[in-house]
Amino acid sequence: MSDQQKETDKTLRDDTLAAVVVSGSIVTFFIVYWSFEIQSVRELLEMAYG
Amino acid sequence: MNPSSVSSRFAVLGPYPRTAVAVLLLGAALLFSFGGMRTSLYPELLSVFEWMETTWFGYVGKTWGGAFALVQGGHLVSLGVLGGSVLFSDGRLLGLFSSLPIRDVIDGAHKVFVGALIVVAATGVFMVCGVAVKVYYLPVFWYKMLTLTVGVLFAFFVRKPLLDRNIDQVNPWVVRLVAMSSVMVWFTVAATGRWIGFS
Repeated sequence: MSDQQKETDKTLRDDTLAAVVVSGSIVTFFIVYWSFEIQSVRELLEMAYG
Repeated sequence: MNPSSVSSRFAVLGPYPRTAVAVLLLGAALLFSFGGMRTSLYPELLSVFEWMETTWFGYVGKTWGGAFALVQGGHLVSLGVLGGSVLFSDGRLLGLFSSLPIRDVIDGAHKVFVGALIVVAATGVFMVCGVAVKVYYLPVFWYKMLTLTVGVLFAFFVRKPLLDRNIDQVNPWVVRLVAMSSVMVWFTVAATGRWIGFS
């Protein structure tokens, strides 16, 4: 395998790993944030209507 | 640019510089939020927001409702275009519109995305100037700024470099994960933006 090919593979691994780390964080944040918001709305509705 | 020259420049960050920068930025964001820096910086920003209301944009936004509504119309339309480009591009990555060439969809949608983002940002600054002190006290405004920053950084420094190469080389599950998180982050930007209008 040429040096150029090795470098390309390394860059691909780096970009992939970065994408997994950041995307995983975004998905986790999205689920946690909107779960809290939905929970808050449910509590408000329970207070209003029982 | 030669990839080897790029990697040698970032050699101090280890074998995976982009990942290292992403982890460092995420760590810095968490430290900023929970380490007390955010609460100490927040009062300092009030003077900036008060100044924004005294600018020409602020006066026009506050005194001429028609101008504010016109710019807000442009903001919403451009946000709709931005959302359309995200859904089209990420939908293609998730397997929709499979008859269309994936490279053409990604590149074409990115050009539309960049144009719409510029209009969203320009009209957004104008709108903030009109109601600067009000939005300063709205937590949802700061959530929107946070998600907008994350969305822009993600689009240009994570998603684009990954998808600029031959997509077949990338793990399909990673492509789907990137597409899903892109939709999620821009959905949150749009939702928190509309939420400001109802606060």
